[in-house]
Amino acid sequence: MHDVLVIGGGIVGQVTAIKLAETGARVVIVDAAQNSGSTANAGSLHVQMQSRFMRLYPDQVRNIEASLPFYVAAVQEWGLLDQKYGSFELVRKGGLMLAEDEGQMAFLEKKMEREARHGVSVELLDRSALDRIAPWLGPQIIGAELCRDEGKLNPLAANKRLRAAAETLGIEHRTDQILRLESLPDSVEAIGLQGRYRADRMVVAAAWGAGALTHDLGVTIPSRAEPLHMNITEACETQINHLVQHAERSITLKQFATGQIVIGGGWAARDRGRYEIPAVDHASILGNVALAAQLVPSISGIRVIRTWAGMNTTADGASIIGPLPGHARVVMAVPGDAGYTLGPLVAGLAVDCVQGSGLAAEALSFSPARFAA
Amino acid sequence: MQMPDPSFTFDGTPIPIKPGASVAAALTDQGHRAFRQSANGNARGIFCGMGVCQDCLVTIDGVPNRRACMSAARDGAKVETQVAFPSLKGAVVAPPPEAARILEPDVAIIGGGAGGLAAAIAARRAGASVVVLDERKVPGGQYYKQSTGLPPIDRQQQEGAELFREALDSGAEIIGSVEVWGAFDGPLFIADLEGRALVVRPRTAIIATGAYERPTVAPGWTLPGVMTTGAAQTLWRSYRTLPGRRIAVCGSGPLNAQVALELADGGAEVSVVAEAAAAPWHHPLAGLRATLLDPGLVRKGLGMLQGLRRHGIPMAYNTRLHRIEEADGALRMVLRDQRGNETSSIVDAICMNIGFEPQNEILRLLGADMAYDKTFGHLRCSRDEGMQTSIPCLYAVGDCTGLGGAPAARLEGEIAGKTAAAQLGCGDAYDLFAQKRSLKRHRLFQKALWQMYDVAPYSLSNMPSETIICRCEEITLGQITEGLSAATGHVGTLKRATRVGMGRCQGRYCGPISTRLVAAATDKPVDDRSHFAPRVPIKPVSIASILAAQEALNESA
Ligand SMILES: Cc1cc2nc3c(=O)[nH]c(=O)nc-3n(C[C@H](O)[C@H](O)[C@H](O)COP(=O)(O)OP(=O)(O)OC[C@H]3O[C@@H](n4cnc5c(N)ncnc54)[C@H](O)[C@@H]3O)c2cc1C
Ligand SMILES: Cc1cc2nc3c(=O)[nH]c(=O)nc-3n(C[C@H](O)[C@H](O)[C@H](O)COP(=O)(O)OP(=O)(O)OC[C@H]3O[C@@H](n4cnc5c(N)ncnc54)[C@H](O)[C@@H]3O)c2cc1C
Ligand code: FES
Repeated sequence: MHDVLVIGGGIVGQVTAIKLAETGARVVIVDAAQNSGSTANAGSLHVQMQSRFMRLYPDQVRNIEASLPFYVAAVQEWGLLDQKYGSFELVRKGGLMLAEDEGQMAFLEKKMEREARHGVSVELLDRSALDRIAPWLGPQIIGAELCRDEGKLNPLAANKRLRAAAETLGIEHRTDQILRLESLPDSVEAIGLQGRYRADRMVVAAAWGAGALTHDLGVTIPSRAEPLHMNITEACETQINHLVQHAERSITLKQFATGQIVIGGGWAARDRGRYEIPAVDHASILGNVALAAQLVPSISGIRVIRTWAGMNTTADGASIIGPLPGHARVVMAVPGDAGYTLGPLVAGLAVDCVQGSGLAAEALSFSPARFAA
Repeated sequence: MQMPDPSFTFDGTPIPIKPGASVAAALTDQGHRAFRQSANGNARGIFCGMGVCQDCLVTIDGVPNRRACMSAARDGAKVETQVAFPSLKGAVVAPPPEAARILEPDVAIIGGGAGGLAAAIAARRAGASVVVLDERKVPGGQYYKQSTGLPPIDRQQQEGAELFREALDSGAEIIGSVEVWGAFDGPLFIADLEGRALVVRPRTAIIATGAYERPTVAPGWTLPGVMTTGAAQTLWRSYRTLPGRRIAVCGSGPLNAQVALELADGGAEVSVVAEAAAAPWHHPLAGLRATLLDPGLVRKGLGMLQGLRRHGIPMAYNTRLHRIEEADGALRMVLRDQRGNETSSIVDAICMNIGFEPQNEILRLLGADMAYDKTFGHLRCSRDEGMQTSIPCLYAVGDCTGLGGAPAARLEGEIAGKTAAAQLGCGDAYDLFAQKRSLKRHRLFQKALWQMYDVAPYSLSNMPSETIICRCEEITLGQITEGLSAATGHVGTLKRATRVGMGRCQGRYCGPISTRLVAAATDKPVDDRSHFAPRVPIKPVSIASILAAQEALNESA
């Protein structure tokens, strides 16, 4: 029997397993190897509140605002992980949220004040200040909010290095889809399509799959699969250091160390079921890329070489971390919005719970207790 | 400096332009082989000659990453070696002022080769409105290889010119220089016409996108001067340009001998044609069967061998490419026969072809069912008798469905054209008996023919680990092997771990190889799902062109 069974091998599951194995625990990861957000995401390290999210889920803004210090801490956590297991091509040059009119500037100003109150390093820039750090912006941009805590990394590099670290630590990886969980008096068991897995404790890091697993244990977690679209261009000279977003429209744009420009920002892909990869919609490639070309006109001459679609997970905006009410051996670890950024931090908090020190006081609002009937 | 007329400059040097020449042909004519620098600093040039490999990139008038093989040479243009990381400070590319076009024909045909043109004629004659889209300036496809401005070189090209004329006369609208980069359910196609957007929403679609060539991977296969046999043939047939003075050909299949002969007739010194299979007289049964089924084509084949003998060009059977090295501005090709004996020759250009890969991206994107054909090592698209795929109103003909040859493609086109039109209430598709019978015969002929060659996937186990497998990302066999042990399961996982298949050609050369390596490592059979996921854009598309398409669709909404 293993000490800990981790369900889900995305960024949260992988880092959880690594942290546990480092303390000597015998860990097995069981992953369905389907639609992991961690293998499809864009590697933006988000800190400032994303306008897309604020617009889509206005009722969740309070949750995100309360989480702001965690985003700052999460990026720092990535820095530590990068030192230990990197390089993940991590760059922390800050993120720009662009405004095209006075109304958007006013929105950014209000947002900035809220963020500053939570300890985020933010500043409002006018066009001449922008010209000094981002001369490639379109002429219609009048200013931006700069968030110095933001950055970017290459998730392909991070996933690969972390996977190698996990192998070195002797973590076992199994491919299976878990159908249901059983919580026994002295252990926990997961029943999968291929087999049964028993362990002393369990971490559920199954993202969009979390809700279905905990339902039978009496807690309804509203995790939802959200298929999202991405685009990537051929390589060009490195020029864009910042993570670029917009005050009103859905976009993230940045340049990888390979010189490629990655364009995303939450455009929809077409759902074909949780265990099928989502399909790319024409409206998303056209809309997303056209918007990028308006904001950064000098990319118009280069070419998009691929798009893809991956599965994001949303619940109520905030992370879900800690023991499941009534099942102390089952620890939840599902990150809130911008889950790749939060991943390592969420993993660390979940590990505390597995090891018995309980959920950190400042993270108590993330407890799954909020979903218990 | 005296500029010849007409001409363009390449890194400042004047390059004369022959009538109808592509940038690649004009450069080759002047002895230039290296067109671009890779990220690792290696020189690259023409490889596929048909817009697939993305290795012939140059900067034209400040716009980076233009395919020299697909770009017409224009008088006064400024062409430069493509650097790996072009500056973003270059000119902003605005979509051309002409408005985007939105077409809604009864039948849209993607690909204007033998299959597509035959389908167009049949559907149009039945009364359907037809639009044919083709990537090349002049349609005709890989078999008929048409040229602009030059008279037909032989009967094959003449026949293509006639078919093209017949298609035009039928009243089908045929648009060249169109790159279809998007295929979505509906179907909805989005294309680029020299920077302009083209949006096509047909009632039915016939996909006739053909195949591209499978290379013989070996150390040195990415060097400038090494190209597919078809690329060399296009240079000669479409542009009357020889890929070099001294040439060697390797791989397997009838195209190699044919092109060797064409190039020799054109004045090239062909040192050898290396054929992986045994000589044809070692396959007497298959030869007999082929002769009975199509005596004409077999006679043509024998004529080719005689022609090679006349030129003194040896056919080296049971012989494969072992490696290619640079040798004083030329290439040393090392061949190895079945017994391990090595021979080498110094040449200017090396042509390679060892089978074909179907261009089935559109079919896979739209979800048409596929099955893996072990003998040819590629996917075959499942179709009914009328050439309809598993997706209603989506037809497929010719080599994009799996290798079948030009005569079969033409017959399939006729059948699909008629059937698709009938499905829309234009004519009936009753009298297809003759076509179906000939098609059956052609398929049997193809089967017998390929038994005399060796185009099944070959083993890489004896290849040095530093051999490049992924041309675009410069990923070696060693890196892939290492990736296989770390990233198990699916070729998509291998891709994310090693970057194999992530480049501009989107895994067209390394994908089939990687898929088979993953299948072997996981002990699973190859099927449709074991390949890279089909994703748009089908070919890289400029952001300006996407912008143009977005504006067009916004206005029409
Ligand atoms: C296109 C896209 C772009 C994104 N960009 C960013 C970004 O730039 N920055 C950012 O911070 N975040 C981004 N995200 C979000 C981020 O990727 C995810 O929130 C994060 O990766 C989630 O990590 P995870 O470990 O919780 O889950 P995942 O990586 O989603 O892994 C969950 C795993 O659990 C498995 N699983 C589910 N159910 C079961 C079951 N029953 N049995 C066994 N296994 C199961 C799944 O197969 C999967 O492998 C993006 C998401 C997408 C889709
Ligand atoms: C940071 C980052 C950078 C990236 N950079 C690049 C890049 O530079 N270039 C690039 O090309 N990609 C890039 N990618 C994309 C990446 O390789 C994957 O493509 C991406 O993670 C999503 O997978 P996919 O949709 O492409 O499917 P793949 O990873 O290719 O997986 C294939 C899936 O498709 C299924 N499938 C196969 N055939 C069919 C079919 N006919 N119909 C339906 N399903 C089928 C398979 O079963 C399998 O599940 C990048 C990804 C990330 C996260
Ligand atoms: S040679 Fe031009 S794309 Fe291959």
